[in-house]
Amino acid sequence: MEDLGLKIFGAVLTTILGFTVGMTYGGIVRKLTARVQNRYGPPVYQNFLDLFKLQSKKTNIAHGFMGHMAPVWIIIAAVTVLMFIPILNGDLWFPNLSFHGDLIFLLYMMVFGSLGMALGAGQSGNPNSAIGVSRGLSQMVGFEIPFVLALVALMIQYETTSVQELTQIQHDTGVWMVFSNPFAFLAALFASLGMFRYAPFDIVGAPAELASGPISEFGGKYLGTMMSGGAIFAFIKLTLYVHLFLGGAGNPDNSGIFATLLGLGILLIKTFLLYMVPVFYGWINPRYRTEQAIRYFWGWPTALGIIGILWAVY
Amino acid sequence: MNIFFLIVLIFFSGALLSFLINKILPKFSGITTFSTIVIISFLFFTQVEINSTTQFSLGDIQMQFGVNNYTFIFAILVLGLSILASLYSIKYMQHNDRLGYFYSNYILTVAGMLGIIFSQDFISFFIFWEIMTWSSYLIVIYNGYTTRNIGIKYMIFSAIGAYAMLSAIVSIKAGYGTFIISEAIENGAFDFTDNIYIPIMLLIGFAVKAALMPLHVWAPNAYSKSPMSFTSIFSGAMSKMGILGMGIVLASIYSQSTDDNAFNVLILKQVIGWLGGITAVMATIYALIQTDAKKLLAYSSVAQLGYIIVGLSTGTKLGVMAALFLAIIHAVFKGALFMVVGAVERQTGTTDMTKISGLIRKMPFTFFTALVSIIALAGIPPLGGFVGKWMLYEALITESNNYFLVIVVFFSSTAAFLYSYRFLFGLFLGQEEKETNHIKEAPYSMIIPMVILALILIVTGAYPGILFEPIANGMHYLGFSDVNWDMSVLVNVWGEESNMAYINLTIGVVFVVIFLFLTIKGYKGTRYVGTKDISSSGEIPTENENLTYQLDFFRPFQRAAAPLYKRSMDKIWNDLGNALEAIFNFTRKIYTGNGQTYALFVVIFLVILLIFKDTLFSN
Repeated sequence: MEDLGLKIFGAVLTTILGFTVGMTYGGIVRKLTARVQNRYGPPVYQNFLDLFKLQSKKTNIAHGFMGHMAPVWIIIAAVTVLMFIPILNGDLWFPNLSFHGDLIFLLYMMVFGSLGMALGAGQSGNPNSAIGVSRGLSQMVGFEIPFVLALVALMIQYETTSVQELTQIQHDTGVWMVFSNPFAFLAALFASLGMFRYAPFDIVGAPAELASGPISEFGGKYLGTMMSGGAIFAFIKLTLYVHLFLGGAGNPDNSGIFATLLGLGILLIKTFLLYMVPVFYGWINPRYRTEQAIRYFWGWPTALGIIGILWAVY
Repeated sequence: MNIFFLIVLIFFSGALLSFLINKILPKFSGITTFSTIVIISFLFFTQVEINSTTQFSLGDIQMQFGVNNYTFIFAILVLGLSILASLYSIKYMQHNDRLGYFYSNYILTVAGMLGIIFSQDFISFFIFWEIMTWSSYLIVIYNGYTTRNIGIKYMIFSAIGAYAMLSAIVSIKAGYGTFIISEAIENGAFDFTDNIYIPIMLLIGFAVKAALMPLHVWAPNAYSKSPMSFTSIFSGAMSKMGILGMGIVLASIYSQSTDDNAFNVLILKQVIGWLGGITAVMATIYALIQTDAKKLLAYSSVAQLGYIIVGLSTGTKLGVMAALFLAIIHAVFKGALFMVVGAVERQTGTTDMTKISGLIRKMPFTFFTALVSIIALAGIPPLGGFVGKWMLYEALITESNNYFLVIVVFFSSTAAFLYSYRFLFGLFLGQEEKETNHIKEAPYSMIIPMVILALILIVTGAYPGILFEPIANGMHYLGFSDVNWDMSVLVNVWGEESNMAYINLTIGVVFVVIFLFLTIKGYKGTRYVGTKDISSSGEIPTENENLTYQLDFFRPFQRAAAPLYKRSMDKIWNDLGNALEAIFNFTRKIYTGNGQTYALFVVIFLVILLIFKDTLFSN
């Protein structure tokens, strides 16, 4: 039973960590974007204030059962994926379930939230939400292709489908997968631009045009919960990329408290740098229309992914 | 009396009875059908022993009935789905006429399918195959004159398949001296290095029913224009008869080819795999532009059959297991989805997604079934559909080294999210218009079968081992040794796993916690509003304002994927048809029907004879 208690504690700790990091990163990006656009910008902790405000609203509007469930789907997807990816390689504090689900499972689980939210948005009856969903799902078909190509390249290069194994291989050999299969990394990096939905791929929830698209009918506790889920999701994607391509974080040979702290520090540095890629790309780009976005992903990113697979085979 | 003969006899007498009873008591036709199938299922599952056979002869042709572990999988599928679909059918068909015609053919179709499962020789196999084809053809044209062309298309393709199969059967008798299937396999009829004619012809015959490209063009129309209570088994169970046959042929080819990397076999694997993959992609992108929910599901059926064929083509343990698992799961969720559409059609009178929307509050149970089935269709964890998809991808990546096929399949299954959403949104979500206010939930006898199917999907997601057991036995029969399976852990050959128990546990715990949190927190302050009470860009929409967004739902995707939409197999077949017609027109210039012309031909022939008489008759 001690073991179970530790596991539950680890799971809760992981969730809190993912949530805090995701929210903080969001705040930093808001601040940085404001500075780039020559505004003063909100404080870094603004996202926490927003969440507090939303969660303490006295009245909430729900548009029926699926609308009520939409935030639930998002949190389910976010927390479940979080449980099945390794946060720190081989660390005792974050053991979770990373041995019990592999990349294919993670791929499918990650769309669970988007689809659930799309259903909730659909029930509101707001045409803007429906248009946003149509664009969002179409765009998803775009960026999933290079992403999957990259993942397949990794899987066949190292003959494993487990994230944990892939991290361990990088730890053992000392070669990050950025260097052992650069094409796959590039394809995945391009795909991540679409995943984070910063410009030029932000037409899904364009505030000025669609009234924020799918989330336009959500408010109060619903929006607040969705925001938390979104924050965890940002952390998940970044951590997954770090573990797949950037050598991971954490030291499986050393399990002291300092090793854990050091691992966390490395994880934060790597994820933050990675996060800046879509953000920087967004600052200097205008917005694509949906079909342009899809064509973008089916162009060079897909070609790079195919080269990545060929690279892995030969 | 032998149990197999008894079952066949009950089938035929049930068909006759349901036809005759319609003249006296019209309402009892459906009930007769339902009870016939229930009685047969009872007899089958209690009396028939697996691996028992019975032999008899017709003239000097040796025939054999029996059930083995492999066909038993399909027997579960056919009988299980038929019971539910025929129960559903009673209320669904309530207000139609010519019920005797419908139900007698309904029973005959099920009889044909179970007969195929029983048959262990090619002659009875072919006879039951034709009974199934003809009776289903008669139901396809049940809806009257407009469906005649669709029926003709179905019949033409079925005939192509039947002739291909017949020629293969005759060649087997000529070359290997037997009609018994297992003997033919032992004698090497499917040794692909030796002869490619017989297996290819049989595969063509089965591919027609399994709607494999390029022989799939009959399927979307035939599926969508038949009555939904029949389409449920048409798409769910009947297409699996093609899979049954392909499974036997492909497994025998793979296990009999002495050289593991024989060139023919490699080519065959690639061709079938890619045909399956392309079928999946093309059917998916056509599914997502449909506005009729029935048509959408019909295309989606073709796409899902594509995945199953991809799985079979790998010939590896995990691949075939994935294919058989997907075959069962597809029968369950597609059976359920066609029932959902049928319920919507019966209650609203249309399935056009541009005309109705927002049925979620009016038909909650139907929506529940649709939601669960769509999640399974999209392959999202933790339902049964995910288990099948997972095994398929792992098989392609880890065992068959078919990396680009993985991408094709993955593209198709990501694009499937689009039509999955379209289906739920089109019928159940979106604006609730005043015109739909009077609509009520479907009767209980229609809801119960649907909800049972939905529950099966949930259970098989948590405990896929329930299905793995018969599948593993069946695969053992096909010649795969040591098929490993676990109640709820999926493992690939590299040793990585997806543990459905942990996945379900995590999802369940998070679900309960967050759901309670959202519901309890601010319970009194939460207000439920209708779909007109929305923030439409800061304006308050009026009562009669049209806020429905349904037409051209995925226009952006259509624009991006425009080149893919330019190709259509339908067009190619039509062009072929036109070309043939032109040739026939040319022959009409010779056979004019005018006696004078024929007389002229005789004269010309005589003249030619006279001119060449020396060369022709020199000896």
